[in-house]
Amino acid sequence: MNTQSLTIDAHEPGTPPGDLAIWFFIFAELLAFGVFFGSYAFARAHHVELFNQSQQLLNRASGAINALVLITSSYFVVRAVAAIKQGLSRQCANWLGAAIALGGVFIVIKLFEFHAKFSAGISLSTNTFYMFYLSLTIFHFMHVILGMVILAFVMAKARSGGYSIEHHTGVETGASYWHMVDLVWVILFPLVYVIR
Amino acid sequence: MNKPSQPRFVRPCTLIWLALVTLTGVTYTIGDAGLGGRNVMLLVLAITLLKSQMIAGYFMGLRKTSLLWRAIMGGYLIVVGGMIAIAYLMGIN
Repeated sequence: MNTQSLTIDAHEPGTPPGDLAIWFFIFAELLAFGVFFGSYAFARAHHVELFNQSQQLLNRASGAINALVLITSSYFVVRAVAAIKQGLSRQCANWLGAAIALGGVFIVIKLFEFHAKFSAGISLSTNTFYMFYLSLTIFHFMHVILGMVILAFVMAKARSGGYSIEHHTGVETGASYWHMVDLVWVILFPLVYVIR
Repeated sequence: MNKPSQPRFVRPCTLIWLALVTLTGVTYTIGDAGLGGRNVMLLVLAITLLKSQMIAGYFMGLRKTSLLWRAIMGGYLIVVGGMIAIAYLMGIN
């Protein structure tokens, strides 16, 4: 019997990296966001003028900067996975720390955006566009926070030498979730801030 | 003892990151110019689906998985993109 196969975290050939359970979670999340995206798009079809006018009042630059922030953060997570595959725990933790820091930048930019809207008296009940804009972005915002918490746990374990070349499924699992958070914003930004 | 060399996915992922940054710039520029209409929507949507596929394939590593996993993600993106396009065209009509 090959004892090596019992001790190395090798996922089944053809399956995605990380724990398989996270992928069911990821696709459940994507489904929820997909329904949200579809609802937004079809609601827009009935209120085109309202959506176009309201969209003009959004801060498109901050939406774009946040897209760049999450894309870069996702790339840092790729580098963290690469580092642990080389057995470089400290580097892995550092890349994850950088990714979390960019997650923090996203949060701060978004809070400024929310503050500006709430200060202007805009709320969920202002109109259909803002109902979707606020609920969609707040829903995504909560996912960013959850992703940062997951990455923080993975980073702490990496820093304490809890992962190795042979055992790093946890890093890949956290990475996969974070990429999902990035993927959702990549669709949300053009849909809500750009398409008119 | 020699450390293992850098995994081969790092270089393509670096190029993908650069492509994602560039395409995000293109999307922002289109929005900032206030461009709209069916063709612009289709262009922005095509860029979005391309970016999504890049993240799923390279960052998430799905390009090296079985057809089933790639089909689930590809199908998801096609359905979401299709819904957005159909709803937009309904709005024009």
